[in-house]
Amino acid sequence: MSHDEKVSREMQNAFVDGQLDAADWTLLVERMGSDEALRREVCELRTLKDLTRSAYAGAHSGRAAPAPERARWARVAAVALVFALTGWLAHDALAPGRILTELRGVAADRILVHIASSRGEVVDPALQEVEDYLSEARAAGRQVRVEIVANNTGMDILRANTSAYAARLERLRAAYPNLTYIACNQTADRLREKGAQVKLLPGVQVAPTALDEIVKRMQEGWVYIRA
Amino acid sequence: MRMTGLFGVSAQFRGRIEAQREPLYRLAYSWCHDAGLADDLVQETLLRALDRAGQLNDPQRLKSWLCAILANCLKDHFRRARPLQPLDEEMPAPGETPEGASASNQVAVRVRAEIERLPLGQRQTVTLVDLEGFSYAEVAEILEVPVGTVMSRLCRAREALRSRLIDFAAQENYKIRSIR
Repeated sequence: MSHDEKVSREMQNAFVDGQLDAADWTLLVERMGSDEALRREVCELRTLKDLTRSAYAGAHSGRAAPAPERARWARVAAVALVFALTGWLAHDALAPGRILTELRGVAADRILVHIASSRGEVVDPALQEVEDYLSEARAAGRQVRVEIVANNTGMDILRANTSAYAARLERLRAAYPNLTYIACNQTADRLREKGAQVKLLPGVQVAPTALDEIVKRMQEGWVYIRA
Repeated sequence: MRMTGLFGVSAQFRGRIEAQREPLYRLAYSWCHDAGLADDLVQETLLRALDRAGQLNDPQRLKSWLCAILANCLKDHFRRARPLQPLDEEMPAPGETPEGASASNQVAVRVRAEIERLPLGQRQTVTLVDLEGFSYAEVAEILEVPVGTVMSRLCRAREALRSRLIDFAAQENYKIRSIR
């Protein structure tokens, strides 16, 4: 997909279904940052996807499908408001593609860093910027929270048997209790289906999907940054 | 089913198949919206899987293999029970209405009703993607259609659901928020 190309319905669906490659994913997110109509359409697709999932979440064999939890519906319906009211990206200075170079200058106190690749040129600067940000916030007496959410090949950095960053992540976690690592369970399931052993590093938490975690945090007012 | 097939199947394989019973039921139910039929389809799927265990060349693809069997079981059911529903023909609105449901499951009933109205091919595609998280390529293999067909069915299905559910979802959101 080029910068000027119209984002087709197929492309929008592929985005919410996690079927785009990293380059198209990034381009589409960039476009959403400036295209309110596109943001709304993608948001609606995401809502439909959640509605479908929730509609059958309570269907169990041998008896009539029970009603889903009311709270789940509240969350599903509220997703639309996240995009409509706050926008996909909460901070203009943090447009995708800038990676984390401006992270230290961010005034926000709750930041989600999304790592979807295990490549060194993605992970190394991300961890360095996170560490610098946390260090400077501590020195300034600011109470901040940072969450690193990993999926796709980015999950490798949080896996005990694949991470090239285990020692560094452990050191960071020990130094900064306000830093949390979140692994995508959907990625973990796919790895297990392929026969891979998925053992996470100590202290790593698990979210149903990376996208769920991102939407949840944005709903709570966190700033989202894709590394 | 050939009983000899069962003796050649390891306990581990049976366990792995049995572990898929609930996901298969959910999928079957979303395709036929009949609890009894869904149970029967899943049962038939598991039996066929045990009988044909030797045909599963790649154990890592167990789930998509089972879903393909389930899709074939549904086809066979329609062949036996009544003329096959055309894959692209939209169903009339179902009899169950939101007004007949309790407030607590009104949204689920409404969403299921709209999914039930979709043509079977679209219904299968959207539920394989949304409920089970299959990739487009995997759905194409399960339903034995090209990937392009998967994408177009998904687009049409979501366009239909969007036109019928988005306003309803927004309204539901208002109600939920208003009682907080």
